[in-house]
Amino acid sequence: MELFTRPTAINKKYFTPGVIILILLALNGLGWLAARFIFGIGAVTNLSNQYPWGIWIGIDVAAGVALAAGGFTTAALGHVMHREYYHDVVRPALLTAMLGYTFVAIGVFIDIGRWYYIWHPLIMWNGSSALFEVGICVMIYLTVLYIEFLPTVCERFIGHMNLKGGLKFLNRPVEKLLILLNRGLSKTMFIFIIAGVVLSTLHQSSLGTLMIIAGPKMHPLWQTPILPLLFLLSAISVGFPMVIFESLIAARSFGLKPEMRVLSRLGTMVAPILGVYLAFKLGDMFIRETFVYLTSFNLQSVMFVIELLFGVIIPLRMFLSKAVLNSPLWLFIASSLVVFGVFLNRLNNFVIAYNPPYKFATYIPSIGEISITVGFISLLVLAYRFIVMNFPVISQPDKKYSPATKFAIRGSEE
Amino acid sequence: MKKLIIILIGLSTLCFSQKKISKSHPETNLTCKTCHSCEVPTRQDPCLNACPRASMVTVYQSAEQTKNVVTLGDISKKYEPVIFQHRIHAEMAEMSGGCATCHHYNTSGPIQPCKNCHLLNRKRDDISKPDLEAAYHRQCITCHREWSHQNSCVSCHALKNTTQTASQLKAAQTLETKTHPKLVEPKKLVFETNDKDGRLVTFYHDEHINIFGAKCINCHQQQNCSMCHDKDKVSSINSPEGMPVKIQKSKSEHHKPCFACHQNDDCSLCHQQKIAGPFNHEIRTGWALNRFHEKLSCTKCHGTTYKFVKLDNNCVSCHKDWKVGSFNHQITGLKLDENHVEVDCADCHANKDFSKTPVCTNCHDDKSFPKDRPGKLVSSVQTKTMKSVK
Amino acid sequence: MAKQNRRDFLKTAAVAGTAISGLSIKPAKAAPKNILSEDRMGVLVDTTVCIGCRNCEWACKNAHNMPTQPQDKYSDRSVFKEMRRPDENAFTVVNEYPNPQNSEIPTDVKVQCMHCDHPACVSACIVGAFSKHESGAVTWDTTRCIGCRYCMVACPFQVPAFQFDKALNPQIKKCDFCYERTKVGKLPACVEICPVEALTYGSRIDLIRIARDRIRRNPEKYVNHIFGEFEVGGTSWLYLANQDFSKLQFPKLGEKPAPGVSESIQHGIFAYFVPPVSLYALLGGLMWITKRKNESEE
Repeated sequence: MELFTRPTAINKKYFTPGVIILILLALNGLGWLAARFIFGIGAVTNLSNQYPWGIWIGIDVAAGVALAAGGFTTAALGHVMHREYYHDVVRPALLTAMLGYTFVAIGVFIDIGRWYYIWHPLIMWNGSSALFEVGICVMIYLTVLYIEFLPTVCERFIGHMNLKGGLKFLNRPVEKLLILLNRGLSKTMFIFIIAGVVLSTLHQSSLGTLMIIAGPKMHPLWQTPILPLLFLLSAISVGFPMVIFESLIAARSFGLKPEMRVLSRLGTMVAPILGVYLAFKLGDMFIRETFVYLTSFNLQSVMFVIELLFGVIIPLRMFLSKAVLNSPLWLFIASSLVVFGVFLNRLNNFVIAYNPPYKFATYIPSIGEISITVGFISLLVLAYRFIVMNFPVISQPDKKYSPATKFAIRGSEE
Repeated sequence: MKKLIIILIGLSTLCFSQKKISKSHPETNLTCKTCHSCEVPTRQDPCLNACPRASMVTVYQSAEQTKNVVTLGDISKKYEPVIFQHRIHAEMAEMSGGCATCHHYNTSGPIQPCKNCHLLNRKRDDISKPDLEAAYHRQCITCHREWSHQNSCVSCHALKNTTQTASQLKAAQTLETKTHPKLVEPKKLVFETNDKDGRLVTFYHDEHINIFGAKCINCHQQQNCSMCHDKDKVSSINSPEGMPVKIQKSKSEHHKPCFACHQNDDCSLCHQQKIAGPFNHEIRTGWALNRFHEKLSCTKCHGTTYKFVKLDNNCVSCHKDWKVGSFNHQITGLKLDENHVEVDCADCHANKDFSKTPVCTNCHDDKSFPKDRPGKLVSSVQTKTMKSVK
Repeated sequence: MAKQNRRDFLKTAAVAGTAISGLSIKPAKAAPKNILSEDRMGVLVDTTVCIGCRNCEWACKNAHNMPTQPQDKYSDRSVFKEMRRPDENAFTVVNEYPNPQNSEIPTDVKVQCMHCDHPACVSACIVGAFSKHESGAVTWDTTRCIGCRYCMVACPFQVPAFQFDKALNPQIKKCDFCYERTKVGKLPACVEICPVEALTYGSRIDLIRIARDRIRRNPEKYVNHIFGEFEVGGTSWLYLANQDFSKLQFPKLGEKPAPGVSESIQHGIFAYFVPPVSLYALLGGLMWITKRKNESEE
């Protein structure tokens, strides 16, 4: 008989030495963030008229969106394909996606010069703009992600409403409201799940379309009309490795037993997807004959080789090995490499490959930019830690018998 | 009746208009087709060609005959009218492109004021020609910029109502009587180059004009005021005779005037390690000019233009009519005796190579030149006989 | 377990599908202007005529109420030592390059927005803050811009500049082809002040005819290339030169409009929203089938 698991809030101490370091990094980032809003983008970043986009777009936004792809790939696997087997990882993946996209939105918010106009795309439409499509899709998808997470919140509070003092009288009505919401969501959740997958497919690919308009300003090793396809494929291929990556980190951090049963099965699906991605990437390179640029030794060619070799080819080989799939350490290394590869790919596409015809100095991110990016990542980890300690997200072996639910994210049993 | 009137009116207007037009036309020997593209140009449709500059006949007017000062005041807004010293500029123009430098194809008759074609307004329908301000500026600034390396307004313009205005006017008056000094042609110029194998290039300016018949324009096409008046550079002309001079020009620019003729010549022809001597036909071509050829002009043998044609050293290549009977052998200083007058040239001059000693062995076993001569030596050679050679 | 029968499922799915597609198909009211008028205006820049007086730089700042030095300071030619680019403080700059035909007269090249016929900025802008007008001008609208700087990434001529130093209300700055002046019948400020009329203002068709004529009459003076006639699908500003344009640091660009590829991808993905809606339907179907399969297994 199978071991039944159930999402539970983890009961551990929040503050550890690692957490305190993260808090310090986050505070440093917030300090720089304040400077950005008080003195302007120019004061904090190394961005210029020659390099209008830097790591805030390359890492916070582009890499952020790609690494949050675990959300829609596991949703597609668990709910659309109804592979109940993987339900244990759906919730953590959803939480990562939700937090990831939240920080993507914040990243966009701080990067745009007129942050107070961030709502403009909602009413001012430009259908031909790839950025418009990304923006709208991300906005809707973020909403969808929050809706998808709502059942977890309901599950946490239904029956546990405990407001104190003057708000005591609210306990019952709120609980009633939550139950009502939960019922409504359970009937319509599939709409949001499918919408989430469609929206992700759209904006993951459109993120690739973004740089196509830069034309010859982008290094030919990356500039290709099939960029949207490559972005979509790489996003799909990083989805499961990202889930494995965070699941193993969380297990280690909270001292839980890694769910190798699910993770190694998830790992078997990585190699074929990664193989398709590699095939398209190499095929594109040979059709456009861009391999000639690899013969010259410069930043671009070196970064491309690192991206392809360590980010795709080596992990592809690793995921094909049974030994790797069954060892938590090797599985972690292989997944990390894929995550690193896609992270580097996004950074390359948006920062390294951007080679403007007129430039006075090459763009190197400033301390302020790096501080804010690192600060945000720290905040994301802290928020993740906080949520999994207070909401039923991570599955743990359940003493009671509980049947596998069809919609695990719904969370409630009826 | 109606028809007749119409025809009469039509004819009269035609005659009238034709007469009128011919009056305003400059009296030149131009054909209608030079300017008009259709058979019968009318007032309504003159069908003028865009710019028949090349085919227009220019009437030469020397600089001395032209207006001394022209006041250009049609567009003065910020500045006083420009007092343009026309004559001295005309003299300068004579050294390069002539009147056409500024007056385009308008040199054939009464000079048209610029504003007849170049309109006053920048916002206008016909934008194919620059407006008046631009037309003036383009003419002036191109040269002024070449030697001054700046776009200084005040070298021509005086601001309105300032003390500068008075001084400007005064300066203009002093220039009124001034003429451009006559050009002094250099005899020899030595250029120092970066060529390791031939550092020095000696250029005999006088030879190119006097011996080779080069016209100024052949080399001095692109040249202009800055040749002498450049603010920043020491011109070769001001340097003492024979002293190496450095001029900053691109390689192709340097070679351009020379390459018009010397394109196929070896570098070492001009580039040598020491200052080269004057032209010597023997050294240059390996064929010494004898006392006859020495007196000829180059064009006599090497073609009419100064781009000379290389010749072989076969006399009959030029002297095509050197035959028995037509050639007066006396001019060589040797009057042939009766026996030899009738002999074919090639019998003595083997292969018709007249540079070599004639041979006697074809007929005589015991005779040899110059011990035995086939005639009598004569002393003087007349120029008259020279002419008969040709 | 949700007591949801199949019919309910299909019904809700259908409603949701139409809701999403209906939401998106509604034509965007606030779409940017992108007009390509037959008689749009342009400027022909003859770099062989330009004398590098930089009066255009001054006139431009003056016309746009930007802080500027007095006009006579612009005769300083030492600025030519280094390449300059238009930025947030100057919509146009003049650069100087050696002239192979005559080293005494360097070639001066005025740089500003080219006002493309198919502008990448208009296509790229997330909120449609850029517009291509009938007059040929490509302008920017401060009431829309969110400051994302995607226009700067998109522009093939690297023209739009951003006020990085401003914390509040930073603006995108670029030549607006003196839109406000031309609207009332005035010439663009740079064209008006040019002492040698190196800048000729006229309808683009006329300018191309004039440019061809100049090349035909002076084949030795000009290279046989009107920059901007075909580059990135044509630009309102056109250039003539006496040397290869790459030597004057013009970018080497193809004849296809800059936004061409990305727009066709965008319009391909969103062809009447058929692909997204069919993907939605496909996934819905897949979900339904797998659900039924699971149920029958149970």
